[in-house]
Amino acid sequence: MKRLKNLVSWLLIVCLMLAALPLALAEGVIDEGLSCTITLGNWPPDTAPEAEKALFENYRAIMARQYPNVTLVPDYYSYTLSNYVPMAKGGTAPSIFQPPFTDPQLLISQHLVGDVTDALAAFGVLDKFSPSYVEMLADENGRIYGLPRDGYVLGMHINLNLFREAGLMDENGLPLYPKTLQELAEYGQIIREKTGKAGLVFPASETYGGWLFTNIAWNFGCVGESALEYQDEDGRWVCNFTSPECIAAMEYIRDLRWKYDILNADATTTDWAGAHSLLGTGEAAMNFAADDSVDQPTANKGLPVEDFALIPFPAGDFGRYALAGGTCYMFAPNITKDQGVALMAYLRILGKLPFLDEDIIAGMRADYAAKRDRGAPVLPAISAWNDEEYNAAKQAIVDEYCNVDMRLYNDFFDSVTQGTISLKSEEPVFAQQLYRELTAVIQRMITREGADVVKALQKAQDSFQEYLDDEINDY
Amino acid sequence: MRAQPKASRARTAETFKSWLIMLPGLILMCFFVWEPLFESIRMSLYKTRNVELVRFVGLDNFISVVTKDDFLQALQNTFSYTFWSLLIGFFLPIVMAILIGETTKGKGFFRTAAYLPNMLPGLAVIILWSAFFSGEKSGVLNILLSGLGIPRQTYLTRAEWVIPIIILIATWKGAGATTLIYMAGMAGVSAELYEAAAIDGATVWQRIIHILLPAVRKLAGTLLILQIISVFQIMYEPMVLTKGGPDNASLSLMQLMWQYAFGGSMNYGKASAVAVIVTLILLLMTAVYSYFNRKESDWD
Repeated sequence: MKRLKNLVSWLLIVCLMLAALPLALAEGVIDEGLSCTITLGNWPPDTAPEAEKALFENYRAIMARQYPNVTLVPDYYSYTLSNYVPMAKGGTAPSIFQPPFTDPQLLISQHLVGDVTDALAAFGVLDKFSPSYVEMLADENGRIYGLPRDGYVLGMHINLNLFREAGLMDENGLPLYPKTLQELAEYGQIIREKTGKAGLVFPASETYGGWLFTNIAWNFGCVGESALEYQDEDGRWVCNFTSPECIAAMEYIRDLRWKYDILNADATTTDWAGAHSLLGTGEAAMNFAADDSVDQPTANKGLPVEDFALIPFPAGDFGRYALAGGTCYMFAPNITKDQGVALMAYLRILGKLPFLDEDIIAGMRADYAAKRDRGAPVLPAISAWNDEEYNAAKQAIVDEYCNVDMRLYNDFFDSVTQGTISLKSEEPVFAQQLYRELTAVIQRMITREGADVVKALQKAQDSFQEYLDDEINDY
Repeated sequence: MRAQPKASRARTAETFKSWLIMLPGLILMCFFVWEPLFESIRMSLYKTRNVELVRFVGLDNFISVVTKDDFLQALQNTFSYTFWSLLIGFFLPIVMAILIGETTKGKGFFRTAAYLPNMLPGLAVIILWSAFFSGEKSGVLNILLSGLGIPRQTYLTRAEWVIPIIILIATWKGAGATTLIYMAGMAGVSAELYEAAAIDGATVWQRIIHILLPAVRKLAGTLLILQIISVFQIMYEPMVLTKGGPDNASLSLMQLMWQYAFGGSMNYGKASAVAVIVTLILLLMTAVYSYFNRKESDWD
């Protein structure tokens, strides 16, 4: 009898456990009804570090738990414009891939990417998407085709030691930094006179000079109809380096060298790393650089964080623009509505939507602690979301690790979040070649005092137009 | 009558063995030299998308390349590199070899010291010299000149100076190896002849002019053509030091080829066209040298 009781007891326990099993399995399920397959580009290959592979396997496991009927197909695809176009046309592009910020507008205009506006709305985050990014990732109707993965905004790094030496500090210990390009020239001149050091380091080698010049040109009015390159009504790409705005911008560069004499001596051989080095070692006071490279002059070149500041890109007479670059997520042109939702769910797990969980918070803490230990400024990342609660939660974590006087950075971040500066992505087609052509013109301007701006720009325009015709117009 | 086929068979067997010995080398040459060479020529005649051949365009790539200002500038620069390398770099190793050869004490030290820069990694040498020629106040040369009261100068941003500076650096690095080759050539001079000349009252200068230099004349001719070929393909020195600037003043043909292929445009067709043009120029120069060399041998 006792044995029978024991048996019955065990049977009851097993039955209870079996009954509870579906409940346990269902825990964490968000949408059982969502059923589709998505292919995920940039999945770590077998040769990737174990930790990275494990991380993505964990994402897959979470996705399987939360959306049991969504099938994830890992794809090792890595985006380039030339390999993506035939895949998109042929319907074989992965559901999600990661292009740089140079390409979204081109892909959107060619209808080569999928619309995720409704999917973002389904997650309740559409109205939280930062207007700064809408211009880069949306079409003219405001439909969204991408989300930022990581990004940067170009501003200006400054060496406060040289500002102090030049007497360019206010009574609160904050720099009297240039807010316009004209002030940049004048302040640079003061620094040169007072310290003997370069007011501005301008890396004008290879393609860097042209890359920075586009920012200056935008602020001189090289946007819209006066853009450096545009598509005419026949769809042909046209190079436009000889607009009055572009000529004025190039004359400004020439003046920085010959009228104000504020540039570093070896500008034509200076590259991105060299520019950071000159600022970090006190050879130059200002450098056009972004928020993602603040560790270069500080942690890497020894400039203490208290002697460093990040300011907004100076405005021109015709606007206030700054380059926003980085990498984004975009989607295949043939994704269905369900696939769009599944992809947003996946990005939410990756921490790319305005939701925080323990894993994301732990990752942020580790990152900030490492930066602080290296002597790099711990700064908030520019948020792609106008979600006060989310941003405040992230800011609270940054504050725990912050090692800088945020007054030296606030103007930069405010200009981005409050929209007082317009973010622009790089020129839409063959940007690297465009930069190379413009760099050659800049080099001529800063090494030959009497160089003819219009003639040099006309030559560069002819050369780049031939390139556009060869590579895209007459292809 | 029967011996001939036997000899012929033996010759055939010998020939077969010779080919067999050469076979691995020939296979490697085919894969790593001839095939890429012919592929490059073929590619230069096609419109390309990355490495894919899109359509045959004949000589369009060549016409497009040679009609551009940057090609003409690169061609002129490349000849300028060659001129300066001959001026600075051709005679220096001969002088060094003679000086070291004439040294009676510490010859080993000088030989090692001359060769030492050759052992340094090329990029390290360029970075070292870029600090020397930096136009900033902290540039080594500017610091030295400031001691003499000379104000700060820029060097690598001056179009007229940049090629001689690059050649100076390349010579500093490479002259030691050429010096050793000349020293080996001079070692072949009969010691008795040299000593006899000394006993007969020939001065050092006379011994150099009448014994050493004639002994290394042919070697110098070979090294001259090798130097021209090498300098014509100069690339990493300007690429690292000046990036081809300022305003293309140090752009070489090989660097232009690199720019077409990897500098953002990925135009392998045009890059191949530049490569073929460089090859043709070098073939022409080598043929001219061989012609005169053969003529000289005939006279001998």
